[in-house]
Amino acid sequence: MDILSDLINGIGNAVSPANLLLLCAGVFLGMVVGVMPGLGPSAGIAILLPLTFGLDPTGAIVMLAAVYYGAMYGGTITSVLINTPGESATVASTFDGYPLARQGRAGPALVMAAIASFVAGTVGTLLLTLAAPVTAAVATSFGPPELFLVVMAGLLMLIVIVGKNRLLGAISALLGFALATVGIDIGGGEQRYTFGSAQLINGIDFIPVAIGLFGVGEVLWALYNGGHLERLQYIGVRAGGGRYWPTARDWAESRWAMVRGSLLGFFVGVAPGAGATVASVMSYSVEKSVAKKPEKFGKGAMPGLVGPEAANNAATSGAMVPLLTLGLPGSAATAVLLGGFLMWGLQPGPQLMDQNPDFAWGLIASMYLGNAILLVLNVFCIPAFASVARVPFRVLAPIIIVLCVLGTYTVNGSIIEVGIMLGCGVLGFFMRRFGFVPAATVVALVLGPLAEETLRQTLIISRGSFTIFLHRPASLLLVCVVALLCLLPLISAAIRRRRAQLRAERPVETDPSKTNEIEV
Amino acid sequence: MRQPIKAVVAAAVAAMTITACGASAGGGEQAADNYPRKELDWTIAFGPGGGNDIMARTMVDILKKNKLYPEDIRVENREGGSGATGWGYLFGKRGDPYAISTTSGSFITTPLEAKTGWTYKDFTPVGLFATDNAVFAVAPKSGITTWQQWVQFAKRKGKVAVGGISTVNVDFILHAMLAKAAGYQIDYVPFNEEGQLQTSLLSGALDAVVSNPAELIGQLQAKKMTGLLFTGTRPLASLPTIPTAEALGYKGLPSMPRGLILAPNVPASVQQWWIDTMKKVVATPQWKNYLVKNQLTEDIRWGADFTAYLQRTSTDLESILRQHGAIK
Repeated sequence: MDILSDLINGIGNAVSPANLLLLCAGVFLGMVVGVMPGLGPSAGIAILLPLTFGLDPTGAIVMLAAVYYGAMYGGTITSVLINTPGESATVASTFDGYPLARQGRAGPALVMAAIASFVAGTVGTLLLTLAAPVTAAVATSFGPPELFLVVMAGLLMLIVIVGKNRLLGAISALLGFALATVGIDIGGGEQRYTFGSAQLINGIDFIPVAIGLFGVGEVLWALYNGGHLERLQYIGVRAGGGRYWPTARDWAESRWAMVRGSLLGFFVGVAPGAGATVASVMSYSVEKSVAKKPEKFGKGAMPGLVGPEAANNAATSGAMVPLLTLGLPGSAATAVLLGGFLMWGLQPGPQLMDQNPDFAWGLIASMYLGNAILLVLNVFCIPAFASVARVPFRVLAPIIIVLCVLGTYTVNGSIIEVGIMLGCGVLGFFMRRFGFVPAATVVALVLGPLAEETLRQTLIISRGSFTIFLHRPASLLLVCVVALLCLLPLISAAIRRRRAQLRAERPVETDPSKTNEIEV
Repeated sequence: MRQPIKAVVAAAVAAMTITACGASAGGGEQAADNYPRKELDWTIAFGPGGGNDIMARTMVDILKKNKLYPEDIRVENREGGSGATGWGYLFGKRGDPYAISTTSGSFITTPLEAKTGWTYKDFTPVGLFATDNAVFAVAPKSGITTWQQWVQFAKRKGKVAVGGISTVNVDFILHAMLAKAAGYQIDYVPFNEEGQLQTSLLSGALDAVVSNPAELIGQLQAKKMTGLLFTGTRPLASLPTIPTAEALGYKGLPSMPRGLILAPNVPASVQQWWIDTMKKVVATPQWKNYLVKNQLTEDIRWGADFTAYLQRTSTDLESILRQHGAIK
């Protein structure tokens, strides 16, 4: 009760007219930044952080939380419309989001993604309010062994992404791991494949590689297939035409995906490191395993977009748990937020919530309101965004290339990264041409270094013994989860076979909601 | 009427400064009396929200509020390559009196680990204002409350797992020096991120960490971690109970420089202008407040003294890292 009244107070603080204005401005600015390929939440917050120096802490955090959500959603828009993720957490949204847009269903896809974000935001905020103290205890049990296992769980999902092309998929993932080795080796301080360039000592960033492989690669691929000659089949999509709205079937297919994604996202998001990315990829694979028609995944299945979207949004709330209750940043974006706390004169740490309750609850409340405003804003903006799908490709292609170059350059102001991006564009084209899997490369690039780093830390601590994974309770639990994840596809295949058998024996429809609940 | 007088004064001052700084001052045209005339190009070699960024923006704010720099100041985050990009940019501005940047630990460590093309020696020093020191902390679960107990524990355990940020960094050196002096053995576990370092200690995976007081203060005040030793020369104002390394008998532990530098080969008159101006900045209450809030130890050294400090720290770091094989 006490906690809920805190939340209501927080909402009360956040809805002052000035703060509401900041909230709307933040969501809008965040969305504009996020729509640039490559500029995701952490870049958005970093770019807009200086704007908040003059504001009081509550106003500043309200605006930044809004920017965070706006940018996150902006990344979804580019993932769906032009197959270019804004950050690693939206990679999974391209798998089915982009095929949906190509089928002329960009509108419903974006609306469903916004609804999923809203639902996940609500679930996440509630869990954050009610379960923060308990989840905080979970966060403090995360040392290198536990982190390694979470990352491993994410990497196992590569198998699901790769699908049937096992060999080509493995090569694609290995390419990602290879790219990830560039830079200073955290373990020994040695330089790997930097060729003496100071620009490369921090390694190859995810952003230029993802923009190249996805954005530019897709443009080249479409040109190769004569996309510039096509008369587009999207014509007839009009604002009043009703095709912007999801159908009853979309809703029926994806409502449980939303719930599963939200819960999964929140708890994985609590883990420091790559929470949102691992959560979204995991959610995709869970949806694919429980789906009745897994063969539709990758070809425009709504749950394949909705699950990961819900998961990455809920992971954001999850990442706030260690930030607010322990003063520990769990992701790149929350690390920038933590810097902001200091700048506004707040002392992050375990006492933040006790010492500055107005601020902490104002932040939680504004995260929630940010999601609500995003949903409303989207209802008005989606027709405009979706109309991008109607622009003839020969007009759209050069614009995408310019945006890709601009977006890459803006992140770090590095011309070398622009070069990497363009190189990856060509690579992305050939990967598509010969059936490789760019998504596996990108996920391996993000998670590979984390896996390496945490495994090495673990083995330094245990002096080379793997039994450390079984001696720590939290880690033992995760070992079980990982084992379960490995078995999940087998189990669900068995269930599907059994169901087919049953159906053959007596042709009665099974209740869809029941079968969907099995894996939660 | 006034015009000729001004010109005469300008010429006289220009002549004086030229004689004063001799041949070393490359751009003689930038005499002290017509400096500053242009917009200042302020490089922050790291992203927004980091320690270097906060310090630079605080300084700029003080300069503007007190009208100490009459022209515009353009602040830009030129991040990348652990400072290599930003300071590399400043390095390329040879002789330009309007290019300036703030330093932090990477100013010394990055040239040690990568071919940056520059070192601290290349730049025109303005001054050192403060140093970043470190706190040595353990988890309360361990039951250890004093440094002596820690040393006993470490010796009994045989080898302890201690953490810090990256390998080519002061964190590793502090652990190595303390362990050697106190006579225990360590396995050093390097981390990339502060958050992961701290959770590792709290989760019981690590026996101890070193980190900046600004990063740990929340945990220490909440008694989620126990501070055993502080590497500064004076105890921290906010945590006076943590003994200094010197009080425990350890001398010569390195710290990281928070200072200000100009591009290479800037005229001595401009360097002097900045030293005079920064003397006013560090005297403001806003600056004092910044130091307290960010748990920095004030340590003021101007011009050549700053360079001498940089040289000492850099050689120390280099020789210890070489001994441990972290750099070649």
